[in-house]
Amino acid sequence: MKLQHYLGGLEGLDPISLETRVFVEAWEERIFGIHTAMMALSPQLDLEATPSTFNTVWTWADLRKGAEAMNPFDYFKFRYYERWLGGISGYFVAKGYISQAELDARTKAFLSSSPAMPEGGDAKVDARVRKYLLIGDDPKRERTASPRFAAGDSVKVADPKSVEHTRLPGHLRNKVGIVDSVYPDAYTYLCDTGPDGIGPAMTVYCVKFDPEDLWPGNTEANFTFYADLFESYLEPATAS
Amino acid sequence: MERFEHSKDREAVNAARARALEALLIEKGVITSETVDKIMAIFATEMGPFNGAKLVAKAWVDPDFKTLLAEDTMAAVEKMNFVTRGAGAEGEHIKAAINTPKVHNLIICTLCSCYPWPILGLPPYWYKDPSFRARAAREPRKVLSEFGLDIDPSKEIKTWDSSAQIRWFVVPERPAGTGGFSEEQLAALVTPESMMGVAVVKPPGT
Repeated sequence: MKLQHYLGGLEGLDPISLETRVFVEAWEERIFGIHTAMMALSPQLDLEATPSTFNTVWTWADLRKGAEAMNPFDYFKFRYYERWLGGISGYFVAKGYISQAELDARTKAFLSSSPAMPEGGDAKVDARVRKYLLIGDDPKRERTASPRFAAGDSVKVADPKSVEHTRLPGHLRNKVGIVDSVYPDAYTYLCDTGPDGIGPAMTVYCVKFDPEDLWPGNTEANFTFYADLFESYLEPATAS
Repeated sequence: MERFEHSKDREAVNAARARALEALLIEKGVITSETVDKIMAIFATEMGPFNGAKLVAKAWVDPDFKTLLAEDTMAAVEKMNFVTRGAGAEGEHIKAAINTPKVHNLIICTLCSCYPWPILGLPPYWYKDPSFRARAAREPRKVLSEFGLDIDPSKEIKTWDSSAQIRWFVVPERPAGTGGFSEEQLAALVTPESMMGVAVVKPPGT
């Protein structure tokens, strides 16, 4: 298991951050923007080609895989966008767009002075990024199989082996809930998660859990926990 | 102990590396020198909490719209004059959770930071904080009280964990003392925090 996948309900943590800003350091918006541009320029999207040299796939799944692959002690040591900065820089080096030496040298240059930023680029690149932001990347697909479960059914959450990435919150594994609603159509995920089980389009359910079943004797009264779960994460609950 | 220590020049190095990366990506033709600024401008003017606030205000004055928002959120969003028509990146499938005198809704993402960009823009820092993501799942009342929001024990809290492809937001209750308010005046009272359930909308002047 990776602690990153098992955050829900963890005990002994700090008081909540009340920080309402989106970016706490000015550089954070630069890495956010770079990530968004990468998603928009990623070649699997059905958008017009541009002169951008970006020609490898980058989706949320790639960002999440990188963060979840980190040593958990490092994951929790760094702020959110610091993890992005590390993961995205590493991706550009690994894919050969830049070299680590170039990045280090340029970082050193910006640390000791304020060199001017380069100017230019083709406006078609920015037009595609804008288009992506405004139309999105719809994960909805036509359903090819009937939903396995219906509202009101008892379901048990599966406990598949997760490799790089999962969309199954750890605190729900092996727990029993009730299907609250079945979403129309089917939804694909951004990558194949292997033995974990998602990727191709499948039905998604909103499942209702009694927190007392999730954390017996260690939760609050009068609240209900809901999670959206892909069908492959669910099994019929058998009477015990 | 080294693992838990940060270098002394942590923020300076982060800032320099982010600049260095952006400069190299511009030189290599990956992005342009305007790409990041143009993205941020979209979030400042077209995809942001100002859209969500308009949805909430309309739901407060139009009961039919509120019903539609609860039952078919995307159909309601499409009726608005948003540049994304509701379906922009990270908002392809949005669901509204409606607060009532008996139910308070709270949105979390225990795996990352899923958030409905077209109507709420980018998530505030608290939403991405691992302590929030972990604690709100098990002890929402305690967490909300740290935000200064005490939920009556008789009120049910519903927590929605956004771990698949649906992005959630909360329609808070209309505050007292807003009887003659226009939709525009009402929208001005709505905060991103109230639309994720860690705050309520306060009556004007409080």
